[in-house]
Amino acid sequence: MSELDEKRLSKLSIDELTRLFMDNINEQNLELIEGIESLVEEDFTKFKKKLNYVIDTNTEVQIKKTFENRIFKSKLMFSKKDRLKIFSKINDVKNIGEFMANKLLLYKVLFPDKEFKLDVLSILKSLRFISVNLAKAVKLIGSDLKDAYSICEEVKDERRKMRREEFRLLNRLYNYDMDYLSRTFLYLKEMIEDIMMLADHIKSFSEYIQFLATKYLIFD
Amino acid sequence: MANDIISILVIILVVMAIALAFSIGANDETLSALVGAGVLKFKIALIIGGIAIGSGMIFFSGGYVAKTVGADILGEGIQYTDFMLLTVLISSILWLVIGSFAGIPLSSTHSLIGSVVGVVIIYAIFQGSINLGTAFNWDKLGNVVLSWFLSPLFGLIITFVFFKLIAKLYLSRLKGLNQIELSERYFKWILLVVVIFAEIWVGANSGEALGILFGLLDNGSLNIQQYFTFSVVCGIFAFFGIYVAARYVIKNLASQMIESRPSEGIIIQSSSAVILMIATLFGLPISHSHVIVFCILGLSLAQKKDIDYRALGKMALYWILTFPIAGILSGLLYYGLGSFGFV
Repeated sequence: MSELDEKRLSKLSIDELTRLFMDNINEQNLELIEGIESLVEEDFTKFKKKLNYVIDTNTEVQIKKTFENRIFKSKLMFSKKDRLKIFSKINDVKNIGEFMANKLLLYKVLFPDKEFKLDVLSILKSLRFISVNLAKAVKLIGSDLKDAYSICEEVKDERRKMRREEFRLLNRLYNYDMDYLSRTFLYLKEMIEDIMMLADHIKSFSEYIQFLATKYLIFD
Repeated sequence: MANDIISILVIILVVMAIALAFSIGANDETLSALVGAGVLKFKIALIIGGIAIGSGMIFFSGGYVAKTVGADILGEGIQYTDFMLLTVLISSILWLVIGSFAGIPLSSTHSLIGSVVGVVIIYAIFQGSINLGTAFNWDKLGNVVLSWFLSPLFGLIITFVFFKLIAKLYLSRLKGLNQIELSERYFKWILLVVVIFAEIWVGANSGEALGILFGLLDNGSLNIQQYFTFSVVCGIFAFFGIYVAARYVIKNLASQMIESRPSEGIIIQSSSAVILMIATLFGLPISHSHVIVFCILGLSLAQKKDIDYRALGKMALYWILTFPIAGILSGLLYYGLGSFGFV
C-alpha cells in the first residue's frame, strides 16, 4: 500500500473503513470461488493463480491497522464493541478463505465424474450468492439496518439450501467405488466441508447483523 | 455538666450530619450514565457531579426537604431533643448497615422517616401529656408516605411516555448505524446537561443530613449562622463523597453501561430528575433509587424488554418493610435510652 493510500485511509470514517475492508475480503472470496471453479474445469494454472492471489494479497492489513487505530480512539462507547466485532468477523472470512486456499493447493485433484462437478459448481454458486449478499448487508449496516436484515434472511435461506447440497454431494462421494483413504476421497470430502465451514461463518455473521438490527432499530 | 453533655451531643450530631452528607455523595450513582457514555474524562465528571450535588444540597435542601424532616413532620409544639435526633440517626444507620450485610437494598430516606416516627411515638408515650393524634403533622407525614408510592409510579409513567414520544418523533426514523451514532453523539452533550440537573435535585432531595441540622436549628441548639455554615460544609462533604468514595461504584457501573445509548440515559435521568425536583419543591423526601428503578422499568416496558418481576416483588417487599422496621428499631432504642434516664 503506497503512502498516498495510507493518507487516503486515514481520512476515512470507521464505517467507510469497514466497507472498504469488506469489499477487499469479498473480492478475495470471489477469487477463491473462481479458483475452485477452475479446479472443477481442470484449469490448474488458473486455479493456482487465483488461490495464490488469495494467499498473497495483504492490502487489507493496512485497512485493518487504520481501523484498529481509529476504533481505539473512538469516543462512541455504545457502538464501539459492535463495530469492532463486525470488523473481526470480516477478518474471519479472510482467514477461513486463506486457510481453504492453502489446503486446496496441497493436491491436484481430478473430480470423479460430471455429476459431481455439476453439484460442486452448484454449491459454489450458492457460496458466491451468500458471499456477495453478506458484503451488501455489511455495507448497509451504516445506512439501512432494515435492508441489511432482509438481505441476511436471504443469506440464511441460501445457506440452508447449501446444507442439502452438501449432503447430496457427500452421499455421492461416499457411494463411489473408491478407496476411502485415497487422497482424492479425503481431498474432496474436506473441500466440501471447508466450503460449508465458510458458508457457516457467513450465516453466523448474517445472524449477528440481524441481531444488530434488532438491537439498534427502534420502532414506534 | 448537663450543658456540657448537650454541647458534646450537638457536636456529635453535626459531625454525623456531615458524615451523612459525605455518604450521600459516596452512594450516588447518577454519574455512571455520563461516564459510561464517555462524555467527559472521569475526574472532570466527578468534579462536575460533585459540585452539582453539593450545590443542590446547599441551595435547595434546607428550605424544602430538610425543613420537612427537621421540623414540619412533627406536630404542633413538638421539637426534637438532641437525644431524639441521635436515636433517629443511630437507628436509621443501624438498619441500613443490617440491610447491607443481608444484601437487601434499602432506602435511607424511608429508614430515616421510619426512625423519626418510632422515636416520636415513644417520646409521646414518655411525656404522657402528648396525644399521638397531635404528635405528628399527619397531613405532612401522609403526603410523605404517599409520595413514596407515587414517585416511583410517576417515574415509570413519565419514562414510558417520554420514550414512546421520542421513539415516534425521532428515534424510529433513524435507519442505519451511522445515523444512530451521529445522533447519539449530540445526545451525549444533552446527557451532560441532564445529569448535572439530576445531580442538583439528588442533592436537594437528600434531606437526611440537613434535616438533622434543621432539627438542631429548630430546637435552638444551632443558630441560623451556624446552620448555614454547616449546610455549606455538608454540601462540600457531599462533593468529597462523590470525588473520593463514589468513584469506585461509578466506575464499576459505568463499565456495565458502556453499551447503553446516551438517549436512553437522557430519558431515565430526566424523568427521575423531574420527579425529584417536584418532590423537593413540595418538601417531600423520596427515595432516589426507587424512582430510578421504576424509570428503568418504564423504559424496559416501553422497549418491550423482559422484566424480572420476582426480583421486583422482593425489592418492593423490602421497601414496604423498611419504614415499620426502622420505626420499631428506633422506638426500642429510644425506649432503652429513656429507661437509663438519658432522654
